[in-house]
Amino acid sequence: MTPVLDRRTFLKGLGVVTVAAACGGAATPSPTATTAVATASPTAAPVTGTISVYSALNQSTNDQFFAAFKAAYPGVSIDLLPLAAAGELQTRITAEKASPKADIFIGGSSEFHDPLGKAGLLEAYISPNAKDIAAQFKEATGLWTGWYTGIFGFISNNDRLTKELAGKKPATWDDLLDPAWKGKLILPSPTLTGGGYIFIATQIFRFNKDEAKAMDFMKKLHANIAQYIPTSPGALTLIDQGQFVGCPNWSHDILTEKSKGNPVDLTVPTDTGFEVGAISIVKGTKNLAAAKALVDWSITKEAGDLNVKLSNRGSTRTDVAAAPGSPSLTSVKLVNYDRQWATDNKARLLKDWQTAVGL
Amino acid sequence: MRSSSDVHLRVDHVTKRFGETAAVNDVSFEIPRGSFATLLGPSGCGKTTTLRMIAGFYDPDEGDIVLSGKRINELPAHKRGTAMVFQDYALFPHMTVKGNVSYGLRVAGVAGAERDKRVDDTLQFVGLGGLGDRWPNQLSGGQQQRVAVGRALVLQPQILLLDEPLSNLDAKLRVQLRWELRALQQRLGMTFVYVTHDQDEALSLSDWIAVMNAGKVEQAGTPWEIYYHPRTSFLADFVGAVNLVPGTVKEIRGEEVVVGFGQRAVTVRRPAGLTLATGREVHLCVRPEALALRPPSADADGVRLPGVVARRAFLGDLMRYWVTVDGREWIVDQPDPGAAADFDGPVTVAVKPERIHIIAEQ
Amino acid sequence: MRSLQREPGVLLALLAVIALVAIFIVYPQVRVILTPGSSYVDFLSAGTWRTPLLNSLQVMALSTTTAVLIGFVFAYGMVYTDMRWKPAFRLIGILPLLSPPFVVAASYILLFGPRGVITYGLFGQTISIFGLFGIWGVQTIAFFPFAYQLIADVLSRSDARMEQAARNLGAGPWTVFRTVTLPLSRPGLGAAILTTAIYVVEDFGNPALVGGQFTVLPTQAYGLISGFGDLPGAAAVSTILLSLALVLYVAKIRLDGGQSFVTVSGRASSMPRPPVPAWLSWVCFAVCAALCGMILLVYGSLVVSAFTLTFPINTAFTTSHFEYVFSGVNGVALRNTLVYGLSAALFSSLFALLAAWLVQRGQWSGRRVMDFLLIMPAAVPGLFFGIGYATAFNEQWLDWLNRGVLIIISMIFWNIPVGYQAAVAGLRQIDRSMDEAATSLGASSLRGFRDVLLPMLGGSLRVGFVTTFVRAVTTLSVVIFLFTPGTTVATIRIFQLVNDLDWGGATAFTVIDIGLAIVALSVMAIITRGRIALGASRA
Repeated sequence: MTPVLDRRTFLKGLGVVTVAAACGGAATPSPTATTAVATASPTAAPVTGTISVYSALNQSTNDQFFAAFKAAYPGVSIDLLPLAAAGELQTRITAEKASPKADIFIGGSSEFHDPLGKAGLLEAYISPNAKDIAAQFKEATGLWTGWYTGIFGFISNNDRLTKELAGKKPATWDDLLDPAWKGKLILPSPTLTGGGYIFIATQIFRFNKDEAKAMDFMKKLHANIAQYIPTSPGALTLIDQGQFVGCPNWSHDILTEKSKGNPVDLTVPTDTGFEVGAISIVKGTKNLAAAKALVDWSITKEAGDLNVKLSNRGSTRTDVAAAPGSPSLTSVKLVNYDRQWATDNKARLLKDWQTAVGL
Repeated sequence: MRSSSDVHLRVDHVTKRFGETAAVNDVSFEIPRGSFATLLGPSGCGKTTTLRMIAGFYDPDEGDIVLSGKRINELPAHKRGTAMVFQDYALFPHMTVKGNVSYGLRVAGVAGAERDKRVDDTLQFVGLGGLGDRWPNQLSGGQQQRVAVGRALVLQPQILLLDEPLSNLDAKLRVQLRWELRALQQRLGMTFVYVTHDQDEALSLSDWIAVMNAGKVEQAGTPWEIYYHPRTSFLADFVGAVNLVPGTVKEIRGEEVVVGFGQRAVTVRRPAGLTLATGREVHLCVRPEALALRPPSADADGVRLPGVVARRAFLGDLMRYWVTVDGREWIVDQPDPGAAADFDGPVTVAVKPERIHIIAEQ
Repeated sequence: MRSLQREPGVLLALLAVIALVAIFIVYPQVRVILTPGSSYVDFLSAGTWRTPLLNSLQVMALSTTTAVLIGFVFAYGMVYTDMRWKPAFRLIGILPLLSPPFVVAASYILLFGPRGVITYGLFGQTISIFGLFGIWGVQTIAFFPFAYQLIADVLSRSDARMEQAARNLGAGPWTVFRTVTLPLSRPGLGAAILTTAIYVVEDFGNPALVGGQFTVLPTQAYGLISGFGDLPGAAAVSTILLSLALVLYVAKIRLDGGQSFVTVSGRASSMPRPPVPAWLSWVCFAVCAALCGMILLVYGSLVVSAFTLTFPINTAFTTSHFEYVFSGVNGVALRNTLVYGLSAALFSSLFALLAAWLVQRGQWSGRRVMDFLLIMPAAVPGLFFGIGYATAFNEQWLDWLNRGVLIIISMIFWNIPVGYQAAVAGLRQIDRSMDEAATSLGASSLRGFRDVLLPMLGGSLRVGFVTTFVRAVTTLSVVIFLFTPGTTVATIRIFQLVNDLDWGGATAFTVIDIGLAIVALSVMAIITRGRIALGASRA
């Protein structure tokens, strides 16, 4: 949409093409990789109609992503409700349950789709393409399907890092307990952002579900944290401007910031966490066929590649390459992230965290 | 009370309470058509409350308000045809004089040409011709008052209600406008109900006065009756200066009564309809102008009371003396001080018995 | 009550108002509060609301005091003195009302943050704008215009004669102010304090961005929804906020009740105000200038951001951010914003006037309750108002209802309180003899309201209109649960751009949004100039 995006997408596109060309036809190191991409050539009649899509994807992703879908399914038109706040969309879908207005809920971590499923507000659907997605990335009965991933990293302001911390980037999360970071660190608010909570959950899994140790870490970290920021992107801007020096945040967004020319850099400390972005069908949809088509399409390689290009995110498909400079699920050391457990215990853990740090 | 053939407004045993107190307490009177009727009394007596009940701004708790034979208690205020002139004029600041005066006609739906004519006529009538395009804040107090009157008159209301309309004007203007209002009323033959606390106004303007006190009508009648034959000492004292001398009934001789006061006694006419018994406590009521001063040893008609001048005040058209008689102060007014003699020291106060009025309170 | 039976027009109006208030103010809130879920009671007993409540009270005390104080000085300066640059102050004074979410608060951080352009760039200081003091400063600037408008409206109707009389009796300017001007401005002052306090307490955007760890009730509520998906818990917080509003309201009634503040009695006077001493004019001027300077700084940085690539990192001039501001969904959003905002403002201010008349001049039982219900929406954070509407009017049988209309309705009723308070304060200044004069001349109550009172309340109408418009145009939380693709508004677009970290686009859009709003307001001001009655606002 904006020239900045155009420049970025162009570069990314260039990068992808270059990498693809350079790698030639080398197969990606995944034994179970199948490249059966479901294209829009069903044996039945073409899908038509309008679907209302609640999208938590970035603004810069929405237009091209859904344009590509329309190219694949020309008979379907999309009524897009873009709101890059998955929590609000979740609440909205809940509030509208007496007369559901949405057909599809796309984007946002599965932590936001799962409770809707448990509340009976989603329509279960196992897409034929879901066989390309590992079990850990989807809900067993098909209430939601994970199609992109986001890895938690760390952004730092180059100038201030060099001047004030001798340019030392954190290799592990424990490195952030260094008193040198005092007052220079910020974190997305765990209560107000998905990222902030995933950070806490990551620590718990890092300590092998020893909550006491994890909360102790968070408490020590709290001493170095200057502010908790109400939105994840907001925190990035503060680092861009050099108001603070560093912040744990989403790698894909950090990469995007860097590519805009901001004086920042991305590191991915070891033992980090990740999110799975989901898509689900809202119960009560009036156009199930079209909704299913969108689910089918978003978990194709084509869609995955496009999303990578547009947002630097990763994919749950193993045959989709990561963005250049971006970590991937296989290139970094991840904690053993028990997603279901993290989702189910969110309220309790957040309360414990608030108690531990005295908020 | 009148039993005239053409009663325009009748207030019938009306009571109005605010909380525990009765501001108007079982008040009844009748007003004949085409008369200038005044409700007179000190502040808080209930006169304004009564007026507002006639207008429809308050609902009586008991009693009826009857206009031209029809009970109007349930009639909404804006349908009663009782236009009111307010104490502080209540002119609409966002309308010109013409706008104010034509307002009622516009509400009534009177068409443009006729409306303009009536407004112009009324403005001439109240002496504001040519000022139609002025704004209220560009007018003097007197002019604003005329607008207020004109605004109400132009509607040719059944009854015009006036709530102390002159009290915000200076003395001279007040007197002048007073005559204008009276002349207006007589020319139009309209029924006016006028509220005031100024007894001069009441006496000079009215065909009929009801004097109110503490929510009740003390006495109603013509100005002459109220002034010369007050039935209570409150009344006597409220309307004009008065000498009230306590006395006792000594003897009743038909139409005449002998009342003793102090060491003296006087024979006075018995007021009609008043039953007296010997020994009854009464007041003798004499107006200051009905008394005359004479030198101590002079001859005089009527009762002669020796006294001493305590002080005096020059009031322009009369000289007022305070004379001590039998230890009690009497007020005596001498008209035309320029032509009269000055008095000082011992004097004789002379009064004709027929000028003495008996007040026997219930 | 009998008077109602005699005037069917008034009775009808009253029933209509009651019905609308019941349907569009009470019902949605009840739906929110009665959200099923045991966690409502659990939440209240868990007591995690205690600290946020204390914080909210602190913030309320501080911000309200300074906002009202500054608002008063501003109003006094504009109405009473003849200081210079009044038109500029008038315009700049309402800018803070036009603060779409995120961008303005972000500007504060940009200018005054740890590496703020002003605090660090100019003065080399690292102050912490985050926390209580940051909230206090930002809210003072953000809310003083409410106080200013309400107080200015009342001051403009003050009676110069009373002040001249006091002067004549030997009172110096300070005494006149203390014993005549100030007491007579109490209806407006009371309304200003109450409204400002309530808006401060329910403010979410500013504490969210500069509050840091300092949690207040609205941020806690938002966190409950965002982080925990705990709607019943959030509803419980909303109830606490409403109770707070009730307490404030009762306090105001106690302090205020029963006295007469009549200054417009139909005894017209062209007396000018006693002159204000020169030094006082200068003081007012200084305060206004300092305040406006601060405001210009913040909004100026916005404009600068919009025209540079990435302020303050890359300050190359560019107009690229404006390229897509009017196209596609952005254009739709701008159009919707103006249409919704103007419609809501019009109906809200008129409805507020009618309701105020019915309550302030009426004699029917239950007026106190209605009075509170009409002020209550101010205490409801936009989030809950939106959720209330989304839940209450999302039934199948209501699917025919145009979303745009529903959004307008939500904006109308969410913003009733300010216009209503202004109208009530105004009515208290107008003597009842005005009503009675109209009645005695044959006008029914409604007719008298329309012909006599309405024109005299032009100032109050304007306050209601402007406030509703700016709040409608800048709210995110009310519409976030209601908007649909065709009914999206500017704030949603800004939200999207900000989340996309397209600060250039976001600031450009914000600048255009504010610009259009100012144009709309100016047009309205020009249209209504000829119709504003004598004795109405001179501010």
